[in-house]
Amino acid sequence: MLRFWEKRAKTGILTEHPEFDEEMAKIRRELKEAIKKRFAGSLAIRMVDGGSCNACEAECNALSNPYYDLERLGIRFVASPRHADVMLLSGVQTFNMLLHVLDCWEQIPAPKWCITLGDCPAMAAPFEKTFAVKGPAADYLPVAHHIPGCPPSPKIILQGLLNFVKKIHIND
Amino acid sequence: MKRLIARYAVERSDALDVVTVFDTETLHERCDPADPVVHSIAPKHPAAIWFERKMADDFGLRIEGAFDRRPLLHHERWPQGIHPMRKAFDAKTELDYADFRPYRYEAIGGDGVFEVAVGPIHAGIIEPGHFHFSQAGEDMLHQEVRHFYKYRGIEKMLEGRSPEEAAPVIARISGNESIAAQIAWRDILTQASVGELPDFVRARDALLLELERVIHHLTDLGFIANDAGFAAALAWGSKSAEEARRLMVRLTGHRFGFDAIFKDLEGFETVPVREWIAGMEEEIAWFGDWITDIPSLWDRFDTTGILRPEKARKYAAVGVVARASGVPLDVRDTPWYRERGYEMVTEEAGDVAARFRVRLRELAVSLRLMRTLLEEAQSAGMPIPTVRDGEYTAFVESSLGELFMTAIFEEGRIVRFFMRDPSFVNWQALHLMMPGNIIADFPLINKSCDLSYAGNDL
Repeated sequence: MLRFWEKRAKTGILTEHPEFDEEMAKIRRELKEAIKKRFAGSLAIRMVDGGSCNACEAECNALSNPYYDLERLGIRFVASPRHADVMLLSGVQTFNMLLHVLDCWEQIPAPKWCITLGDCPAMAAPFEKTFAVKGPAADYLPVAHHIPGCPPSPKIILQGLLNFVKKIHIND
Repeated sequence: MKRLIARYAVERSDALDVVTVFDTETLHERCDPADPVVHSIAPKHPAAIWFERKMADDFGLRIEGAFDRRPLLHHERWPQGIHPMRKAFDAKTELDYADFRPYRYEAIGGDGVFEVAVGPIHAGIIEPGHFHFSQAGEDMLHQEVRHFYKYRGIEKMLEGRSPEEAAPVIARISGNESIAAQIAWRDILTQASVGELPDFVRARDALLLELERVIHHLTDLGFIANDAGFAAALAWGSKSAEEARRLMVRLTGHRFGFDAIFKDLEGFETVPVREWIAGMEEEIAWFGDWITDIPSLWDRFDTTGILRPEKARKYAAVGVVARASGVPLDVRDTPWYRERGYEMVTEEAGDVAARFRVRLRELAVSLRLMRTLLEEAQSAGMPIPTVRDGEYTAFVESSLGELFMTAIFEEGRIVRFFMRDPSFVNWQALHLMMPGNIIADFPLINKSCDLSYAGNDL
């Protein structure tokens, strides 16, 4: 156990790593404030994969690593759609997955928002529309915001969430 | 016993050709395209079950002697009688949902035995798939893995495309094996054009492949421990994986190395990779010392989710799963790699602990390999060539295991593409690890195998 605390003290707090640029720090400050104001300090996201390559999921997972530490901004990925404000949707919406995605959307209590993540749900990735692909997601869901990228990096996802939170304030 | 690598069908002008690839030979069975029938090899090679069910869905092939005739890719609302891999079927056809036909899950009956259905949407940030458990209280009696929710029809999508048009799709079949799939495609294109690649290109690409492996082994070491409730390891694993991903972006311009293999990498030589390797080696040595010393964690790992060596062989398991069960199987086990510092890592126990240790020890091998590969690597990549017609096959050891890819070209375009992800065979061996364990250990066992859904479903 001593070894762990020694390492812990030596490593320090990575979340304020000097590598991180000003811009990133700014995004995070603004995001934290916006969520505090508009979502009572807590934005709950149910992430759903509608047929991705799994890179978008890897980047969402990366948001929880010590470098980004998403939770301290008041954003949480939740297990149940019934606990969610937002459905964050990746993938091309396969024939086999689309109906489950729509089921999940039904289970989220209003008010709710759908954010599409990455190029796939907008059918902007290199995948063609075929018999097995039902996308774009906007044909079936009221997409409130889109975060482009293949995949969008954690930084772009944070920026995208900020843009979304700002945008919905204007609308209400 | 020969090892089954893949079994798939090719529609030729005069016949439906069922190709079976073993480690020692490749067999062809030609059948009547109007009423294609083959005999099941599943009684002897259980890994053939999914291959055969997939062929039945894809081509309308009848499998004689099959004990499992349920559809695999075609779920409850799939329109009956549609076999999309037949040449007569147009990839652009828009399919409507048919009436719901229930899927008969494998389930064990009996007094007090109940079923637990999990998925396709799981609790965490994870890909969709369905796990169906038969339970006697907490004890798992059986588990069925049901997949193909992410079935994107990529094999069909690529037909008619040129090698260049196919490359960005192949790089995105499975994000966690992008470099591996791109290298398989590179090897196929090399065979179909120049024949051989200069070592400085092979070394560069092999370096990226090892970096991809480092990223995933680090991620897994964190997540496996986290699934046993030890979050501090996830903090270390995810932090280190992020640092490895940042090296990937500096080398390739992309955090996952998408589309990196077929281009020249600007600034490749200026990245201080040696220093990075030295730093990571220290980190891993520290982690290894620390984690080995936490008895409550190993109490969860030891004897959990055992895959016995003879079962691993029978089910044709590959990659870390095979090596942790004492089966020395690795595509990199060649003179070229051995000269550059490669060593096979195996463990005997076949449990979660063994799979964890294989990953930990393989990290050291990967970093050593990266250091020697760096001596030869240059920034230039192989440009996409024009291809000679023919059939070509490639094997690559992805971070998950042996990836098999094959393509047939006619007039410079793809007429058939097939990829067998390492997960496709390993998923079928997963249920063997469940009996004797409680359901709370399932996530731990599953994560210790780290299988791809996207690569499997294609």
